[in-house]
Amino acid sequence: MNLAEGVQLVSLGLLSFMMLGAALGVVLLTNVVYSAFLLGGTFISAAGIYLLLNADFVATAQVLIYVGAVNVLIIFAIMLVNKRQDFAPLPKAWIRKSATAVVCLGLFSLLTTMVLVTPWNLSAEVASADSSIIEIGKHFFTDFLLPFELASVLLLMALVGAIILARREFLPEESAVAVQQPILTLPERPRELAGVTPGSPDRTIASKPSDRNK
Amino acid sequence: MFVLSGYEYLLGFLLVSSLVPALALTAAKLLRPSRRGPERRTTYESGMEPIGAAWIQFNIRYYMFALVFVIFDVETVFLYPWAVAFSQLGLLAFIEALIFVAILVVGLVYAWRKGALEWS
Repeated sequence: MNLAEGVQLVSLGLLSFMMLGAALGVVLLTNVVYSAFLLGGTFISAAGIYLLLNADFVATAQVLIYVGAVNVLIIFAIMLVNKRQDFAPLPKAWIRKSATAVVCLGLFSLLTTMVLVTPWNLSAEVASADSSIIEIGKHFFTDFLLPFELASVLLLMALVGAIILARREFLPEESAVAVQQPILTLPERPRELAGVTPGSPDRTIASKPSDRNK
Repeated sequence: MFVLSGYEYLLGFLLVSSLVPALALTAAKLLRPSRRGPERRTTYESGMEPIGAAWIQFNIRYYMFALVFVIFDVETVFLYPWAVAFSQLGLLAFIEALIFVAILVVGLVYAWRKGALEWS
């Protein structure tokens, strides 16, 4: 039983309207937090359009990854940057804005001509809706096996890279000390005690004999 | 044009769930006493007095948790078609999925050893 064509057309119109409005909000609003949440609205609208085009797995992946993960990362990145008063308007911003406008208009005209020129041969026969995920699963384990396994290697690399970046292991010594500076309450403390927390008494015991030797 | 089937319930749920916030807000507006004052405009913060601005700089550790979450989220999406088509795929696909998971378990063990999953 299919939904009526009218319902589908109205849904498509609503979703497109939502998507365009949210995308315009992302670009035009000056508050970055609003832009980030409206970007989530854009992703959700795209997921709805995928659902209307009968691509249910792509819609699920869109919601899971783009709304649930990528947008969360963007919001976290906004949370990590400094406060709002640190944003200052750039001098000569019109050069950047005009360059961005030229690039965006060029991309828009390119995509429009591509949409108009491409012959869209929609096949009349339709795969059954239930089997699209099963089809994707079969492709994963037959002819797309190598990309599937490479994806896990890529994810592993991303995980290790994220941990290394967030732990700041490979930063030079000066910048690491400068980063840890707010933890220190007493600036005249010796440097080897700087990293010692009250929970780890080993290093304080180890450093005491050297003090006595002096 | 469209071949949407079996989504009548989703449409119904969407309609009902879009009514929920509107109904909640109108019901609250009808029921609550109307008072004006500076306290009315402050942010609700679990009954505490809100201190400072909302936009503060958070710890970078949150970002590491988010990154780890994203990676395992993507892994879930990759494993979902395998789980749905499990009965039609053979033993070989099971082993291949095990390899896929094993490569990611290496990353999980690395994150665990490096203390990325702990909040110290």
